[in-house]
Amino acid sequence: MRRLLVLASLLLFVATGFVLYRQYRSPIPLGITPSLTGQAEYCLTCHADLLEISQSHPVETFGCVLCHGGEPLALSADLAHSTMRGGSNPSELMVVEASCGGEKCHSGSSQVDRDHIQRVSSSLQATYAGAITQMRYAFGAQPDLTAQMGIYAIDGLSEFDPSTETSPALQAFGSNCLFCHLSAEPLEGDEYSRWSGCPACHSPAPREDGTLVHKLTTSVAYTQCNKCHNRGNYSLSDMQFHPREDAPTDRLGDYYQPIAGFTRCEWTLDCVDCHTRHEAMGDGHVYNNKKEIQYIRCRTCHGTTDSLPLSYIITEENDLALRLAFLNPVLDLKVGDTILITDKGEPLWNIRVQVGDGLSTPLYELFSKATGQRFTFNPVMGSTCLQEPDQQESRYCHECHAIER
Amino acid sequence: MNRSAKERFFIPLYSMRSSFYDHLHPPTIPAPQARLRYTLGMGGLGVFLTLVVGFTGILATFFYTPTPEQAAKSVQELTFLVPFGWLIRNLHYWSAQLLILVVVLHLLRVVFTGAYLPPRRLNYLLGLSLLVVCIFLDFTGYVLRWDEGVHWALVAGTNLVRSIPLVGAEVYRILVGGNQVGATTLIRFYAWHLFGLMLILLVIGVWHLFRVRRDGGIAVPPPDLRTTHERIKRKELSRREGLAMLWATFVLVLLALLVPAPLAPGIQAGTASAREYLAPWFFLWVQQLLKLGDPFIFGVLIPLGVLLVVALVPYITPGRLSPAELGRWFPLGGRNVQILMAVLAGLIILLTLLALLT
Repeated sequence: MRRLLVLASLLLFVATGFVLYRQYRSPIPLGITPSLTGQAEYCLTCHADLLEISQSHPVETFGCVLCHGGEPLALSADLAHSTMRGGSNPSELMVVEASCGGEKCHSGSSQVDRDHIQRVSSSLQATYAGAITQMRYAFGAQPDLTAQMGIYAIDGLSEFDPSTETSPALQAFGSNCLFCHLSAEPLEGDEYSRWSGCPACHSPAPREDGTLVHKLTTSVAYTQCNKCHNRGNYSLSDMQFHPREDAPTDRLGDYYQPIAGFTRCEWTLDCVDCHTRHEAMGDGHVYNNKKEIQYIRCRTCHGTTDSLPLSYIITEENDLALRLAFLNPVLDLKVGDTILITDKGEPLWNIRVQVGDGLSTPLYELFSKATGQRFTFNPVMGSTCLQEPDQQESRYCHECHAIER
Repeated sequence: MNRSAKERFFIPLYSMRSSFYDHLHPPTIPAPQARLRYTLGMGGLGVFLTLVVGFTGILATFFYTPTPEQAAKSVQELTFLVPFGWLIRNLHYWSAQLLILVVVLHLLRVVFTGAYLPPRRLNYLLGLSLLVVCIFLDFTGYVLRWDEGVHWALVAGTNLVRSIPLVGAEVYRILVGGNQVGATTLIRFYAWHLFGLMLILLVIGVWHLFRVRRDGGIAVPPPDLRTTHERIKRKELSRREGLAMLWATFVLVLLALLVPAPLAPGIQAGTASAREYLAPWFFLWVQQLLKLGDPFIFGVLIPLGVLLVVALVPYITPGRLSPAELGRWFPLGGRNVQILMAVLAGLIILLTLLALLT
């Protein structure tokens, strides 16, 4: 009995030691109470080294749980992460409304252009309705080129289900060619690596070694766009996507399709320097193909021989241009500045008119959204250009201005 | 005999034993009553586990918030943010689970040794009701987590009450406090767990312990039929109990260190996103029964029938078992109830395994 007593005491002593050790080793909880939720959360106990995702989402205001979901008080990874929305990507389109939505955030706002989620959800990049429409028309599944189906059903489109298509080509299209919409899982390889949903464009891609960068940005470099674009060709003969095998570095020489013509600004600037939010993210309407939504032309910035590009003077602090410049401060835009505007009314906030007194030739300065680099250019009006004002498609401009490749 | 003034004043008390502890620990008891191989020490362990579960429960009460929004969060807060909170919760959980196991083993010991014979019939029924109270305490405690791990069992369990003819709807309404499981359900389960059931446990538990000594201690043959007249002293009994408590504490701490009590995300109002479709382990056999058909028959009547049969054990042909056979396992005279109990236990274990595997 004495032996049992000694043994039990010894074991209990050791077990108590382990209890103390475990308590000593457990992390010191690091909590914050974000002002938007008012609820304490302890995610930073483990994630204190994460970069703040953007200056528009300060952690002391938003915290982590408001966007990511999860269990705010749990310090075990399994439990804490068990209710996260979209895994490590809360802005996947299937869950983005719960994560980023709400009229004070990115959906449901009556203010112009603040309903990002509705716009993106109905955009061609998300629904892939353009390609689906073309294919279904080409293989006789629909009578015209009006968009009927998308990757998922939304108002105006039903869901494209390849298994219900009678044409084998469309079934093959369904299984082999749906890698490029915003919800698709990218192909393997660093050159394809990207998130799905909003961060497909707005976050750096996950790296090959598995590291993720906690960042949301409107400074989108052309390399981000090329995670999907210019990555290969679809072949109608075998109904396959043929990814390119090289890893191009020289943008002009081998990045783009060989037959295409490019002027200097098309390969020195980044895609988002010219292409607008409505073109990339949609304007809330369902379009039938890319041509219908992509409306930026050379003349948008350069004007024609008889007219200057459209511009306007910023008069209010709440002007969309100032809000966008705040998100990506590559220039010190302020009230009173004159900037260019598209013919659909979208401000080209990174292009400022420097001399616009109507007497001398105006000079425009463009700040690259990705690099901050400053470029200057002059309008067509007053130059030696002889292009007819009603012939403004890029092929006409390329006649003289395409660079030799 | 001269008594001091104080002793005279307290005569009524001093004429009995001086404390409840001494009541449970007489100066000497027959040695066979404290033989581990006979009693398995389950009664004493049950008392010890009740004390642990009570003490840790009181500590947990300081952190638990019985509202649907905060319940699961407060459990997480206790587990992750309060220093040694994980230890308190794990000890509470494990002592509660082991308590049910210990009480069931205690019941089996009593049946398999014939210890239910008169004069211990009443205490047998008191003990059985303690098992029922323990199960309800365990279930209410389980529900207090108010997380997705318990969501299904909560809804399924309370819906079972609805299946009772005539009074089901009314009993359900009283149980959950409305037409569906919600905030009032949580506060009712909280009240039952902390107050109602605890009070019943305390009263019946003390009564049960009191009766143990009143019925002559643990069942052994009458003095003239005993093979040994060896007795052990109070100090020796206490020493053995102390040793058992030490071992039990070690096992509890080890379990608390190695196997954390289950946790899941809190129940979100209006969702049915249960993560587990399993009843707590002590109700798995009922869950398996429910797959066979009508919920009232298989979920209410049969479990109540099992309870009734177990309650009737002391009344089934008690004449066959003679007091001389007491104090050892599997006396011949009690063979009928031993077989009955073994079959019931076997079926419950089988159904539990089936529920886990299917």
